[in-house]
Amino acid sequence: MTSISNTQKQPVLKLINVCKRFGGVVAANEISFELYAGEIFGLIGPNGSGKTTLINLITGIYSVDSGSIVLDGKNIVRMPIHNRARVGIVRTFQHPRLLGRCDIRANISLGKDLADKRKIPDTDKYQERMGVLLEAAGLTNVDLSDSIEKLSYGQQKMLEIVRALLSKPKVLLLDEPAAGLNRKEMSYIINLIDFAVKEDICVLLIEHAMDLVMSICQRLTVLNFGQQIASGIPSEIQENPAVIKAYLGGSRNAEN
Amino acid sequence: MKQLNYKFVIKYILPGLFLAFCLAIPGFTSGYMLRVLNIALITYLCVLSLYVILGMCGQNSFAQAGLWGVGAYMAANFVMKMGAPPLAALLLSSLGTAVFAFVLGFAFFRLRQYYFTFASVGLMAILNGLFMNWNEVTGGALGITNIPSFSIGGAIIKSEPGNFYVIFFICLAAFFLMKVLFNSALGRSFMAIRDNEIAANCLGVNSLLTKSIAFGISGALCGAAGALYAFLAGYLSYQTFTFQQSTMYLIMIMLGGTMSPSGALIGTLIISLLQEWVRPLQNYMQFIYGAGIMILMIVQPEGIFGGGKAIYDKYLKHSKTARTEAD
Repeated sequence: MTSISNTQKQPVLKLINVCKRFGGVVAANEISFELYAGEIFGLIGPNGSGKTTLINLITGIYSVDSGSIVLDGKNIVRMPIHNRARVGIVRTFQHPRLLGRCDIRANISLGKDLADKRKIPDTDKYQERMGVLLEAAGLTNVDLSDSIEKLSYGQQKMLEIVRALLSKPKVLLLDEPAAGLNRKEMSYIINLIDFAVKEDICVLLIEHAMDLVMSICQRLTVLNFGQQIASGIPSEIQENPAVIKAYLGGSRNAEN
Repeated sequence: MKQLNYKFVIKYILPGLFLAFCLAIPGFTSGYMLRVLNIALITYLCVLSLYVILGMCGQNSFAQAGLWGVGAYMAANFVMKMGAPPLAALLLSSLGTAVFAFVLGFAFFRLRQYYFTFASVGLMAILNGLFMNWNEVTGGALGITNIPSFSIGGAIIKSEPGNFYVIFFICLAAFFLMKVLFNSALGRSFMAIRDNEIAANCLGVNSLLTKSIAFGISGALCGAAGALYAFLAGYLSYQTFTFQQSTMYLIMIMLGGTMSPSGALIGTLIISLLQEWVRPLQNYMQFIYGAGIMILMIVQPEGIFGGGKAIYDKYLKHSKTARTEAD
């Protein structure tokens, strides 16, 4: 249903036949999909299937061998990493990459710095926005002048998403945000994703926690060995025999 | 009995007392010792330049003594060949060295990781060679003599205490500028590069430009230090601006701690004063520095200041109002 309404809108981010090889290994083979504003798009697949590589291609850490990545109608494959961030593609990492030797406030401020570089006008509402985000992330009780090392692993992951959202991105790429988190922390992640959706940010979610993915993503694509083996809405994906064989079947058995 | 906040004491009262003590130094210190302190403060500016490029931005440079020399020879030339007033020469050589470092940074920082360090070693060798051989500008092996003293307006500052105050206030200004830089978006982008360059790029930080700016700022500090040295010493020789000196700056900042301007100050003062006080042991100094640094890096890699700060964070920061017997 969502995909029908989506066709009337222009996609924010569009991948067209993106290919990437590392020597003999095909990490991405003719990957194509579209992301729409305010949509949560899931990217799933077994370990080593090329999910993180795809995020690295979108953010520019790796350059594509062929194909195009189009943001708001503009091909950005030749754009350097920092400029892609400045046009609104912001990501988090599997393991949070924060300023380890700075306080929490400095870390959050990096998000504001990016917003300034993006020339986002309503910076005067920054404090308010930061308050809302910190509350959504369950970080209201932390002392912002504390060192980042005082935060738990989960809180650091949350902080990284808060920082990303403070820059008001167009596209938010989340690389396994829920990995290693408990249920309570997982609910904070969902709060933050909700916040992003309300701001019409499109969210690309890589995640192994299938209950989370299936409950919040509107559409999904499944990768295996760099191939896109299926795309569609969660209920279709769950029934897809190729996906069950390559990925879901295994993980379901493991969970039960 | 009063409620006294440790934080307040450590953040304001101790630095305030230290500042007052510094201002009083010329009152009870002899000419020679004051000269040692003046040189130490000039050295501090160079060590502070390492704080910017190494401590904040994570790029190790062995070329700081070379940049110091660039500033010194520039200042001497501005004053002696172009007749610029010393204050203008100071500003111009600081600016000139900054531009010089910034432009070189653009070439060097195309190299990632430690290759910049290799390039800086090369730069240091080239600069020292230039100082020794470019007779028209540096006076070659003979150096430049009879550089006039510093002056502001018409007032010539020749005495050691006068020079102390000039250098001290420039150091103080540099110290606070570093604090401002630390809390600015630019400073944060330096630190983002230091901690993880790719992650910094993903936050919109342009590596090449940002690192070049960091090297430029470190150049500005070295340039100012060089100019002050030229006016204070009155004589420049290529033998002053050596690789050895660059290494000494690194030892100083490692000792004090790379993470703060205060650490740089502690390291500079300890080594500068040690060099004076233990002159009889001079032959062993290299050994003592080397062993000292190795032990420190194993025991407390963040240096003396880093160690102190760790203790403060652990025990004092959250004891918000500690009771003290202060009337």
